[in-house]
Amino acid sequence: MAPVSRTRDRPAFWSLRNFSYQAYRLKNRPELIIGVLALVFLGFVVMVPLLQIIKEAFTFQRYDLAYQPDGNVGGFTLLHFDRVFFQPISKALFFKPLINSLMMGVAVTAIALVVGFSLAWLMVRTNVHFKGTFGAMLVFPYMMPSWVMALAWLSLFKNDRIGGSEGLLTYMTGTQVPDWVAYGYLPIVFTLAMHYYAYAYLLISGALATVDSELEEAGATSGMGKWKRIRVITMPLLMPAIGSAIVLTFIRILGTFGTPALLGMPVRFFTFSTQIYASINARNQGDAYILALVLIVLAVSFIWINSRIIGVRKSYVTMTGKGFRKHESDLGKWRWPAAIIVILFLCITVALPLILLLWESLTLIPGNYSLSNLTSYFWAGQGNMQLAYGEPGVIHNRGILEALGNSIKLGFAAALFNGALGLLVGYAVVRGRGARLSRWLEAIAFAPYIFPSIALGAIYIGMFSTNIGPIPALYGTFTILILITVIKNLPFTSRTGIAAMLQIHQSLEETARVQGIGWFRRMFRIIIPLSMSGLVAGMLLTFITAMRELSLIILLISPGNNVLTGLIFGYQEQDMAQHSAAVTLMLVMFIILISVIVRLMSRRAGVGKLSVV
Amino acid sequence: MKLTRSRFLQLVTGTAAAAMFSSVATFSAAQDISAELEAWLVENSLGPNVVEEENWDDIVAAATEEGEVVIYSSSGRIAKLVDHFQALYPGITLTLFDLGSVKTIEKAIREQEAGIFNVDVITTGNSGQVIYELLGNNRIFNYVPAHFVDRIPVENRDPLLIRVNEAIVFFYNTDANPDGAPISNVWELTEDRFRGRVGIKDPMGSGSSLMGLAALVQNPDEMAAAYQRLTGEELVLGEGVPDAGYEFVRRMLENDIVIFKSGSKLADAAGAAGQEDAMIAMTNMTYISRNEDKGNVNAMMVDLDPVARMVYPTYMAIAANAPNPNAAKVLIAYLLGNPEMNLETELVKPYIEGDSFDMLQGLAPYHDAGSVSPRSDVPLPEGGEVWDDMVGWDISAEFMWEQGPKLRDFWMIYSSQ
Repeated sequence: MAPVSRTRDRPAFWSLRNFSYQAYRLKNRPELIIGVLALVFLGFVVMVPLLQIIKEAFTFQRYDLAYQPDGNVGGFTLLHFDRVFFQPISKALFFKPLINSLMMGVAVTAIALVVGFSLAWLMVRTNVHFKGTFGAMLVFPYMMPSWVMALAWLSLFKNDRIGGSEGLLTYMTGTQVPDWVAYGYLPIVFTLAMHYYAYAYLLISGALATVDSELEEAGATSGMGKWKRIRVITMPLLMPAIGSAIVLTFIRILGTFGTPALLGMPVRFFTFSTQIYASINARNQGDAYILALVLIVLAVSFIWINSRIIGVRKSYVTMTGKGFRKHESDLGKWRWPAAIIVILFLCITVALPLILLLWESLTLIPGNYSLSNLTSYFWAGQGNMQLAYGEPGVIHNRGILEALGNSIKLGFAAALFNGALGLLVGYAVVRGRGARLSRWLEAIAFAPYIFPSIALGAIYIGMFSTNIGPIPALYGTFTILILITVIKNLPFTSRTGIAAMLQIHQSLEETARVQGIGWFRRMFRIIIPLSMSGLVAGMLLTFITAMRELSLIILLISPGNNVLTGLIFGYQEQDMAQHSAAVTLMLVMFIILISVIVRLMSRRAGVGKLSVV
Repeated sequence: MKLTRSRFLQLVTGTAAAAMFSSVATFSAAQDISAELEAWLVENSLGPNVVEEENWDDIVAAATEEGEVVIYSSSGRIAKLVDHFQALYPGITLTLFDLGSVKTIEKAIREQEAGIFNVDVITTGNSGQVIYELLGNNRIFNYVPAHFVDRIPVENRDPLLIRVNEAIVFFYNTDANPDGAPISNVWELTEDRFRGRVGIKDPMGSGSSLMGLAALVQNPDEMAAAYQRLTGEELVLGEGVPDAGYEFVRRMLENDIVIFKSGSKLADAAGAAGQEDAMIAMTNMTYISRNEDKGNVNAMMVDLDPVARMVYPTYMAIAANAPNPNAAKVLIAYLLGNPEMNLETELVKPYIEGDSFDMLQGLAPYHDAGSVSPRSDVPLPEGGEVWDDMVGWDISAEFMWEQGPKLRDFWMIYSSQ
């Protein structure tokens, strides 16, 4: 068959006619402009660190001289590639931890999804008691550092393997808890699931709130049973949110460090993240970066599978501009039992860790939980040289109050910029779905999720030490803290942005366009209000993570802009347990307070109608 | 060649990729002595230009002129010194970055690679990397105040000044062992009766713990001899194990040694009062002070064959191209303590108050049992007097640099079985 030239009857690429035609097309496709701009920006702040990681993974470092004394420092090497995959050490360094991490990831994701989904359903689609209060409190566990839950687990279940004071269960029953309950896989999975179910809960409840009950009623009219309606109508509509929740949870679990280190180490349960941490700690960057790259490849393939499943089907639009009704099913006699289950759940995940923190901050001698040992010194003390190196209590401590201000500033700024960026990325990705630009943008926006935080921070020192064109040198300023936090959290907000945008039917925007309404007004009057529920959820997540972040920013902090987590790190390092507990508690309380305020305000503003967050 | 759409796109993508790669490639690793650094060294009498006599008053005056000094520290306790230092040297602002040991080194290297010279003084442990990556690459320079040279033994100031020496030791619980230490030879810990009853701070996450192990591995002949003294037999190495030092590590791991993330939690676990079957803790000697703070009943094993304390140093030095070199010198002298202090000086707790603070100066927050000043004329801290009674091995920076990675690999392989 003779090849048919398709370009013949089109104007030549560089001709004026084509140029003006393309310009006209571009004007009507704002997602292209936004997409290209976002791609260029992200290309710089995400791709350069990624390439840097790849480069350093295959560069012979000084550290490697121990393995090859005649090696050429700075030259190309496959040493670490070889070590991670093909050497006797690979089993200990890579394969076993990988299997542990994957097993952990699958179990935690499954539990988190079931828990998050059930809770979301209860809160959005039923008339369970205390919905408002529960809805807010269910996000609290995520606002605490995940190791708090692990510490709570240890104080309940620890046995004589790690000696010292007895765990509460041993103390009360006199029997030793078996190792597999106290340490390792089981407690890690449980405590992580109780922390990370928040992703599934937030995303699914956000999506559930926008599912039009009329669709389900239509199903009922055509004779579908309750379960068939859920399977055929509701579930497919929730797929983007569920998919995002799975991706976010699973990959986050692969990268999580604190809990596996605390609960896994006593029984030598090593995970991917503990091995990366150990390599970075030794400044064995080659190993660390190869492992990090494996994580990135895992995550990208995971996202690819997810977008294959969700991307090929188009029927997820739930906001169409037609009638919208929300139906709450009556739980009947199950109203109270359901509420009690939620209360018990909140006791374990919220009250228990918080009480533990509070108690710890009130003890004179840490670890002694008797009443006679209580003191308010670490909250209200003026600074006594006999205690804690004379460090004054929280409310008299200027360093702490300053750091609190900085943390809040960072949280707000990061959340705001992140919301805007996430929205734009989501818009560009969804409206341009199917095009190469859209796929690239989606992938690149997700990449920061798996960077080892400390590596990203280290690379940013080099990138922003001098001015780049019109941008002044950011290193040493507060702006770079905001920038890196925004980038690191972009995966959250771009996922929520994409999920939110997927639900808004294009016709809504097109209607406005037909009437000659410009892009900015369309954005502010249609897109932003409709995606607000998802967006606020995403921004809240960013706020929380930004307030809790440390290893990402520690290399970039200068003393004037220290944050609370930096102080906590210092207190822990100096074994000042009560100060560390008090500041942690304060951090958690402020996160909770601000989230509740934001939630109330957004409800006032009308966002709450669509949102349970 | 016709410019088609796909060619145009290729061109754009290619240019962007090239720009990105080139920006990656501009990062360099090595730092030679540049003309600028050379001049800085001459001006400040550092590196090869060290002088034997210096006019201390001139240095203090120049430091006051500079008005500021920035320190990157692996230890946060230096924060306790800020007010005292600034009161003693009015006009000099002390700015502390509390970073932990890994990040101190990482930040210093990354900044210098990027041409940023913010920091004046760097103090951190991790001997292999400090000596070979920082000092060996001209990223830091040794400075010993001339009026202290005579009071610091040469091994504590050459090649690099030590700020404080600390040690990894073995603790036992005196409630569980009322008759004294349960062992007299470290090899006893590999016996079945200590199965799962020895704890160690994770050497993969803690530099000091790794250095403690390395001090044992560094002396395989003494380790083998100690084994023979205990059992009367020659040590049989496991398959593929290079020597007696590594064999000790292997047997400890095989004997189910319990790995702790935190050294202080380990000290508390071993030392909690009232235990019958308490574990032995291999951890930092300074946690003995938790006996007082937390009611632990730990004791140190003083008579151990072949070694009772494994010493690891924390260094301090002036960073290359430091913006405030004179203030850096003043700070380093301050961290060594008051020159008027001697072995007879009366020091009372709390050391960070009153006359004791004025004597100890920068040593005050570190004047704890288990920490020892590099100076030979500073009294040992209360509770830490046994330091001199214990057989101690120092870890060599060379060994850490050349063998540390292999020891880590060894630990990783055997701990995951």
